Amino acid sequence: MSPLDWLVGPGVVLLAAGTIGPLIGLNSGRTLALQALGIGLLGLGGALVLFGAAPIGAGFHDNVSPAFGIDGLSGFFLATLAIVALPALLYAHDYLSGADRAPALLALSGLFLLSLAGFVTARDPSTLLAWWELMTLAPAAAILVRSSGPAARHTVFVYLAVTHLGGAGVWISLLALAHYGALSDPGSLVAQGAAVQALVVIAAIVGFGTKAGLMPLHSWLPRAHPVAPSHISALMSGVMIKVALYGLIRVLFEWAAPAPLWSGLVVLALGLLSALGGVLYALVQHDLKRLLAFCSIENVGIVALGLGASILFTSEGDSTWAAIAFAAALLHVLNHAVFKALLFLAAGSFERAIGSLELDRIGGLLRRMPWTGGAFLVGSMAIAGVPPLNGFASEWLTLQALIHAALDLSPGPAGVGAVASAALVATAALAAFCFVKVAGLVLLGTPRRPEVERAVDSPAAMRFAVAMLAACCVALGAAPGLLIPSLTGLAPQPRELPVEPGLAIPATGSLPSPWLLFGLLALSALLWRLRGSRRAAPVPAWACGQPVSPELRWSSAGFTKPLRLVLEAVLRPQREIAVESEHGLVRSVHYQSEIPHLFDTAIYGPARRGALAGAAIARRLQSGSVRAYAGYLLGLVLILLLLVRTGAIG
Amino acid sequence: MTVLAGAIQILGGIALAPLLPGTVQTLKARLQGRRGPSPLQPYRELRRLWGKTLADPRPTTIVYRLAPCVVAATMLLTLLLIPIAGGAPDWPLGNDALVLVGLFALARFALAISSWDTGSSFALIGSSRDLTLAVFAEALLLLAIVLAALPAGSTDLVAISRGAAGSAIWSEPAHWCGAAALGIAILVETGRQPIDNPDTHLELTMIHEGALLEYAGRDLALLEWSAAARHWIVLVLAAELYLPHWGGFATQLAYLAAGVALLCVALALTETAQAKMRILRAPALLLGGCLLALAGLASRLAGGIG
Repeated sequence: MSPLDWLVGPGVVLLAAGTIGPLIGLNSGRTLALQALGIGLLGLGGALVLFGAAPIGAGFHDNVSPAFGIDGLSGFFLATLAIVALPALLYAHDYLSGADRAPALLALSGLFLLSLAGFVTARDPSTLLAWWELMTLAPAAAILVRSSGPAARHTVFVYLAVTHLGGAGVWISLLALAHYGALSDPGSLVAQGAAVQALVVIAAIVGFGTKAGLMPLHSWLPRAHPVAPSHISALMSGVMIKVALYGLIRVLFEWAAPAPLWSGLVVLALGLLSALGGVLYALVQHDLKRLLAFCSIENVGIVALGLGASILFTSEGDSTWAAIAFAAALLHVLNHAVFKALLFLAAGSFERAIGSLELDRIGGLLRRMPWTGGAFLVGSMAIAGVPPLNGFASEWLTLQALIHAALDLSPGPAGVGAVASAALVATAALAAFCFVKVAGLVLLGTPRRPEVERAVDSPAAMRFAVAMLAACCVALGAAPGLLIPSLTGLAPQPRELPVEPGLAIPATGSLPSPWLLFGLLALSALLWRLRGSRRAAPVPAWACGQPVSPELRWSSAGFTKPLRLVLEAVLRPQREIAVESEHGLVRSVHYQSEIPHLFDTAIYGPARRGALAGAAIARRLQSGSVRAYAGYLLGLVLILLLLVRTGAIG
Repeated sequence: MTVLAGAIQILGGIALAPLLPGTVQTLKARLQGRRGPSPLQPYRELRRLWGKTLADPRPTTIVYRLAPCVVAATMLLTLLLIPIAGGAPDWPLGNDALVLVGLFALARFALAISSWDTGSSFALIGSSRDLTLAVFAEALLLLAIVLAALPAGSTDLVAISRGAAGSAIWSEPAHWCGAAALGIAILVETGRQPIDNPDTHLELTMIHEGALLEYAGRDLALLEWSAAARHWIVLVLAAELYLPHWGGFATQLAYLAAGVALLCVALALTETAQAKMRILRAPALLLGGCLLALAGLASRLAGGIG
C-alpha cells in the first residue's frame, strides 16, 4: 500500500462512521467531527494526487465489479468537495443545534458527502450509477426531513422527476460506453463510428447537463436549492452541480475523446444560454436564496463556455489553448464552489437571524451582523467578477480563451468565440448589477422591518465558517497561478506552465493578481490617509433636499427597472395596476408585477400538459376489463406471428 | 524611453487628466458661442473641494466612506496599464486589456454600491442607469479591444499598440469598424452626450453625476478626479490603439498628443451637435456598435482587403 492509501482509507472509514453515527446515538459534535475529519483526509489525498502524487486505487474498467481510485481529475473534485464541506460542516454544528430532526439531517449530510465523494472516485459503470442515484436522493430526503409541507413535497417531486428524466441520459451514455469498452480504453468508442459517438455525447450532455442545471434543462434547480437546509444548499450549489460537470468532462474529454467540433459548439451554446439566462433571471428575483440558485446556473454556464472553447481548440489542433481553456473551466468550478457556498451559508445565517429572505424587506445587516455581512460582501464581489477576488481570475482566464478562439482559430469558430466573449463580459456586468443590488438591499441602508433591527450576528462556528470561505475567495484571487499548472496538466493534452502566483499566459498581458491585490490595497490605504476622516461632519443624507423616508425606499424591482425596460422583449414582464377610486378620489392603488419564468411557461408547461394528455389517452387502454386485456394479448400474438411470417423477426 | 513613458503614465495621468474634461467644456462653450470657463476650471474645482469639510451622511457604513478611495485607487492602477507612445515600463502589473476592463468594472461596482448605503433615490437612479448601460458598454469595449488585438494576436496593450502602428492597418475595414465601436464606448465611459450629460444634475438625464450627489469635500474631489482620469485613460487608449502612430518615441508622443487633442475636439463637437438621447434608447446604440464590431470581425475573418 502506498502512503496515500493510509490517508484515504481512514478518510472513507471516518466519513462512513460519521454517517451512521447519528443513527446509533452519537452526538452531533462528534458526528460532525468524524465527517469533517473523513472528508478532510479524502480532500487532502485528492489534493496530493492533483499536485503530482501517483494516482491511487484502480483505473477505470467496464465490468460490473465495484472499484475505486483517485486520479488527478478526481483529486481536484475531491479537494473542491473538501474545501466546501469543511466550512459547511462547521457551520452545521451551530446551524443544526436545536433544529428538529437534527440527527436525521446529520446522517443525510454524511450520506450526501459520501455519495459525492463516491461518484468522483468510482471506477466502474455500476458503482458510478449507484452513487449518481444516491447523490440525487440524499438532498431530496434532506429537504423532506426539514419541511414536509405540500410545497416542499411538490418541489422534491419536480426535482426528482426532472433529474431522473434527464438522468436517463447518464445511464444511456455510461452503459453505452461500458458496452463498447470505452471506460477502460478511451478511443474504442471513436472506432465505433460517428453515430455511436454522437449518441453518447448527446446523452451525456442531456444527462449531466440536467443535473448541472444547464439551461434549458435547469427547471429543478431554482426550486430545489432554496428549500434545502443551508449547509446542504451550499453543497448542492457548490459541489453537486459541479460533480455533474465532472461526469460531462470525463465523457467529452476522456471516454468519447476527441469530442467532435459540433459538440464543442453545442456546449458553448448551452453555456451562453445558461450564463446570460441565469443571470438575467437572477437579477429579477425577489428572494435571496432563489436568486443565488439562478446565479448557479449562470456560473455553470461560464464553466461550460470554458469547456466548449477547449473542445474548439482541440478540434483545431491548438493544444496549448485547449489546455488553458480546460484549466479555466476547472478553476471556475473551484471558485464558484467557494463563493457560492459562502453566499448560501451567509444567507442561511441571515434567515436564522431575521426569518424571511425577501430582498425588499432586509437592509442594514452589515452593521448588525458585521462578520457574516462582511463575508457576504466579499462573496458578492467575488461572484460579481471584480478584481482582485477569485471570480475575476477564472472569468479572466475563460475570457482569454474565448478571445484567443476569436484571434487564432478558423473563421467559423473564431466568430463564435468573439460573440461568446462579448456575451461573457455582458454576463459579468449583469452579475455585478445583480450583486450590487443584493449587497445593497441586504447589507446597507436602514433596516426595513423590526426583526432586522434586532438581528445579532450568528454563533461563532457559523461566523468562522463564512469567514474561512471569504479568506479562500481572497487567497484564490491573489494566487490562482499556483493552481493553474496542475489544472492544465489534467487536460487531455497536458501543457507545462510556470508555477507562479499570478497568471502569466502567453499572448496575453498577464494577470499578476498578487500585485493587483497589493496595489489596490496599498493605494486605497494611501488615499484613505490623504482623505483623512476626522473632519467628517455627521449629516442626514441629502438627496437633493428630499428626506430619505422609509416609504420612498428603493426596492429590488425599482433598481432593476431600467434593465427590465430595455430587455422587455426578452423578459416579458407582466404587471397589473388596479386603482380604486371613489367619487373621483383615489382610495387605493394595487400594483403587482411579475417576471414569468419563460422556460416554465413556454417549454415546461406545454411539455407537462402534453405528457398529461398523453397519459390520459394511454389510460383509456387500461379499461380494467379482462376481456379487453385478453384482446390485447391476442392482438400482440397475431402481430408477432405476422412479423415472423414476413421474416422481419426470428 | 520607457522611463519617460512611465513618467507620463503616472504624472500625465494624475496631473493632465483634469485638463481633458476642462478642454472639452471650453471648446463646447466656444462652439455654442459662449465664452465658457477656462480649461483649468477642473483644477480650481479640485482645489476648492480638497479644502472643504467631508460629509458623513447617517446612517452609512464603511462601504460608503471607502468607495471614493477604491474608485480613485482603481483609476491610479489603470493608469499604469496603458501604453504611452507604444511603450510602457515593466510594472509588475502587466498590460492586459482585460485587466483594464475588470478594473473599470470594480470602480463601477464600488460607486454603485455606495449609493445603496445612503439610500438616496437620486444616487440610486444614477447607479441603476449606469449599471444598465454597463452591460452593453462593457461588451462593446471588449469587442473594440478584440478588433484591435487582431493584428497582434495578443491582449497585451503594448503589443496591440505596436501591431496597430504604421499605415498598413488603415486599409483594413476591421480597423475602421473597431475605431467606430471604441468611439461609442468612449461616450459611455466618459459619461458624455448623447449618452450622459456631465453638466446637469437633472433627475431626468443624469447617470454618473447621480451617484456623486451625496459626496462632499475630498471624497468628491477623488471622484471628480477619477472621472477625469477615465477621460485620460480611454482617450489615450483610443489614440494608442486606433489613431495613426508610427516612428520613434518622440514622433509617437507627438502623434499621441495630437490624437488626444483631436479626440477632445471630437467630443466637444459631438456634444454640441448631438442632443441627449433617451436613456432607454442608448442600449440600442451600443448594440448597434457591437454589431458594427462583429461586422468588422467578419470582414477580417473573411480575409480582409489588404
